[in-house]
Amino acid sequence: MAGAVRVSLNLESPTPAYRQIANDLRRHLVEERLKPGDLLPPVRQLGVDLGVHFNTVALAYRMLADEGWLELKRRRGATVIARNAPRAVDRRQADHLLRQLAHIAAELRSVGMSSRQISSALRRLAQGARP
Amino acid sequence: MTSASWSVMLVVTVNAILFHAMPRFSRPDILFAVTVPEAFAAGAGRALVARYRAIVWSGAAAALAISLLLPAPRPGSGRGGLLIMGVVAGNMMVALAAWLFAHRKARAHAVPPSDVRVASLVPRDTSLPGGALFAGGPFAILLATALLVYTYRRDVPDGAGSNDSLGFLALGGVYVAMMLTMAVSLARRTRQIAVDGPAAAAEQRFRRVNVLVLVLTGYAAAILLSATTVGSIPAFGDTVSGSVGFVLLPLMLFNFGVTFWMFRVGQGGQRAVAPAARQEVHGDATPDHAWKVGGLVYFNPHDSAMWVENRVGFGYTLNMGNPRAWLLIIGMILGPMIASRLLF
Repeated sequence: MAGAVRVSLNLESPTPAYRQIANDLRRHLVEERLKPGDLLPPVRQLGVDLGVHFNTVALAYRMLADEGWLELKRRRGATVIARNAPRAVDRRQADHLLRQLAHIAAELRSVGMSSRQISSALRRLAQGARP
Repeated sequence: MTSASWSVMLVVTVNAILFHAMPRFSRPDILFAVTVPEAFAAGAGRALVARYRAIVWSGAAAALAISLLLPAPRPGSGRGGLLIMGVVAGNMMVALAAWLFAHRKARAHAVPPSDVRVASLVPRDTSLPGGALFAGGPFAILLATALLVYTYRRDVPDGAGSNDSLGFLALGGVYVAMMLTMAVSLARRTRQIAVDGPAAAAEQRFRRVNVLVLVLTGYAAAILLSATTVGSIPAFGDTVSGSVGFVLLPLMLFNFGVTFWMFRVGQGGQRAVAPAARQEVHGDATPDHAWKVGGLVYFNPHDSAMWVENRVGFGYTLNMGNPRAWLLIIGMILGPMIASRLLF
């Protein structure tokens, strides 16, 4: 596991806690800060550290296991596994995410960003840059 | 000066020293159980600490003066003893009131709690120091003693029958099990506040020393109980009474050493960490409003942590808003009660 790999949780965010945890973890997985074979903390430990119920963490782990990033073993926690990328694009899921992106793009336009700025920001984000 | 005055002087002085040192035990940015900016704690907050300490020592001096004015207690009369207890209790109340007063003043400088929580994704070591085999040592000592008592059961003098001895050893086993339960839950159910770097390492070291103290408390109990039991067997009496000190002395020295070390490094080991290394860490990741009675009791049903760092004194305290904490407390009370009912 490379350097400081962290997960953060914003209590004021409208995004549910399990989704925030899953989003952070996915970012680390996509950017290869978490590599196959890496062990993640037990759900109870991460739950205590973040001050949330362990089921919240378990839900985030399960979500990423369904996406093929993690292997969950009873009592042995979660392990990062090699994902057969690129997987076949799930059209339904991709359409859903693109719709969300369209809403966000509209919001960005309404706060004053030009379409050129939005597209260049998107390109940077797709290449792994931090916002 | 009467012997009662000497006793009052000793108790009052120890009490005053303890309350005097109390603000030094906390993390650098926690003052009188309130999360404040570290700059305030190290700057303007010192005036608050000085005023608090002045009240504590004035209370101690007043208690001592009153004890000197008290007449020597007459044998058979309980009134003198009651007066002395009243003086000591009064001194305690003054120190406590000084703490609560300072706590209220510090709240005006409280830092609002952060909405963002951060945790490391690197699993940390939650095992017991020395491993399970070392932790099981006290049980082995008690079992070996039980076997010895059973072998020499005919030599045990009347009145200290082997059945009673075995019962006490079993009760010792319950106590050791309680210490180990606490050690395991402390190792696993405590929040890591600093995410990484020297601050996190210091915190982890501090936690493991606390866990080790609990494991060694089990050893001390097992050794003491075994020594007393084996000492009642005539064949071993002389050998045991002479050698038990050699075993207990290192444990006592370790306890003194730990107390001194904790005083030096402060809560969570954070006073030993350079300020730059703990810039990211603020407070102890618990909200001020969940601390009741001047920071003595932590009650937060929305916090999944079972143990949190103490805000008054060293070490850890239970989150009274967590049902598991109550289960542990009830187990600690009922365990020995049920065991003694079954054994005697």
